[in-house]
Amino acid sequence: MPREQQLSQIFLDVADTLVADFDIIEFLQRFTENCARLLGVDAAGILLADEEGHLRLLAASDENTRLLEVFATQHEQGPCVDCYHSGLTRLDIDLTDPDTTHAWPQFATAAQKIGYTTTNAFPLRLRESVIGALGLFQNVPAPLGEEDLLLAQALADMATIGILQQRTLAHSEVERSQLQYALTSRIILEQVKGILAERWGTSVDDAFTALRAYARSHHHRLTQLALDITTGRFDTAHIPRPAPPAQQ
Amino acid sequence: MIQAESVISDQMAEAIRLLDDAPWTGGVDEAIEAALTALDVAGLAVTLATPETGMEPVVCSGEAARRFEDLQFTVGEGPGVDALRSGTLVLVADLTEERAGCWPLLRGEVLGLRLRSVFCFPMTLGAIRIGVLSAIRPTASRLTWQQLDDALALAAALTHWYLTRTASAIDRTGPLPLTQSLGHAEIHQATGMVSVQLRLPLAQALQALRAHAYGQSRPVTDLAHDIVTRRLRLPSTGDDTPPSVTDKD
Repeated sequence: MPREQQLSQIFLDVADTLVADFDIIEFLQRFTENCARLLGVDAAGILLADEEGHLRLLAASDENTRLLEVFATQHEQGPCVDCYHSGLTRLDIDLTDPDTTHAWPQFATAAQKIGYTTTNAFPLRLRESVIGALGLFQNVPAPLGEEDLLLAQALADMATIGILQQRTLAHSEVERSQLQYALTSRIILEQVKGILAERWGTSVDDAFTALRAYARSHHHRLTQLALDITTGRFDTAHIPRPAPPAQQ
Repeated sequence: MIQAESVISDQMAEAIRLLDDAPWTGGVDEAIEAALTALDVAGLAVTLATPETGMEPVVCSGEAARRFEDLQFTVGEGPGVDALRSGTLVLVADLTEERAGCWPLLRGEVLGLRLRSVFCFPMTLGAIRIGVLSAIRPTASRLTWQQLDDALALAAALTHWYLTRTASAIDRTGPLPLTQSLGHAEIHQATGMVSVQLRLPLAQALQALRAHAYGQSRPVTDLAHDIVTRRLRLPSTGDDTPPSVTDKD
């Protein structure tokens, strides 16, 4: 798909956040997939600060649990944390550099372990504040061009708009409520991955792929569907069970 | 100047410290009293959701807060009930100006109380719904962003407090910090898996996970990783004590 078309798709997705039938995690997953593709990077993730100022992952371009853990290590340390506190972009951080591994040992080790060599972080800005960060990972060092830097910051701003559902420009308390609900949604999703993986005897990653495919094709909101699974209101027998893992 | 949001006030940090330091329910009372000042509210109440009794107020500071909690769970409607059901904040700046049709029974009764604004914070961990923290003020008002963050932090601390201290079988293990681990996806994934394996509600599954980690002196993140990768399956406890908190509404 040409770049302009991909961008148009992102705009359409952001516009969709204005309608009632909208799921924040689903939106951000598509959004991070598009970010990674548009910017030519290998992974992208959106981190949001909780009420104590700790960063928590909301969505990533790849729901692989190992990637989720790389983002989780940025709870209190890492370039996204620096970016969140300073409001400044952090570019081209070499994960193999001893200075990096010294500053953020857990983060750098986890990221290197799954093959990333370089990372970048852009602030999620809300007026005079920062509410989180967009993290980008690359398998081979390739500095983002000037145009890509502008685009990446614009995408980070769009993520903020999506999270806050721009229609409620008004109130800080509404904004806080939406940020909080986004964090809750993320945890519900992880709990349901576990429930489904156990019922189906698959990996959590495969369980998630099947859940998301079902939600998309049946126009269910992902978080609501997940919540209905935890309360037993939705019978998971409706969801096509993923193939069992191949025996090794 | 651009700066990070979300740092709780010193007063609320102190209130939460009182909670974390105290092993028994006295700590909750002290924390709630300390939090009144931090939030600049007249009353605070903690109501737990239990499968046996439904909604049950367990801590109330101030007569108005107690009567308001009793009232909304008697008539079965109100901002606290909505917060618990939806898992989202319900913030009412002025109860006398609410939209028509919103809590008609409650609003009819509430006029006699010294109470104009009410702010309800669900105590949740994903799909686990433990209860609700409510704050009230006698005059129409809003919370500042700082007060919102403080109240959210208190609700989160209370959630962890009740999750880690209520289940009968787990009391013996004492408090165990969970907060630092909750950013890890695998904790929540493992909770879901254990809930299916042991046929427990999510809240109890998390407690089982904690207790096992504690018993083995291992970080709960390590244990969760072993469960998710199927290197480990928790043994069934055979304990059929009814669950004390619920993840259903």
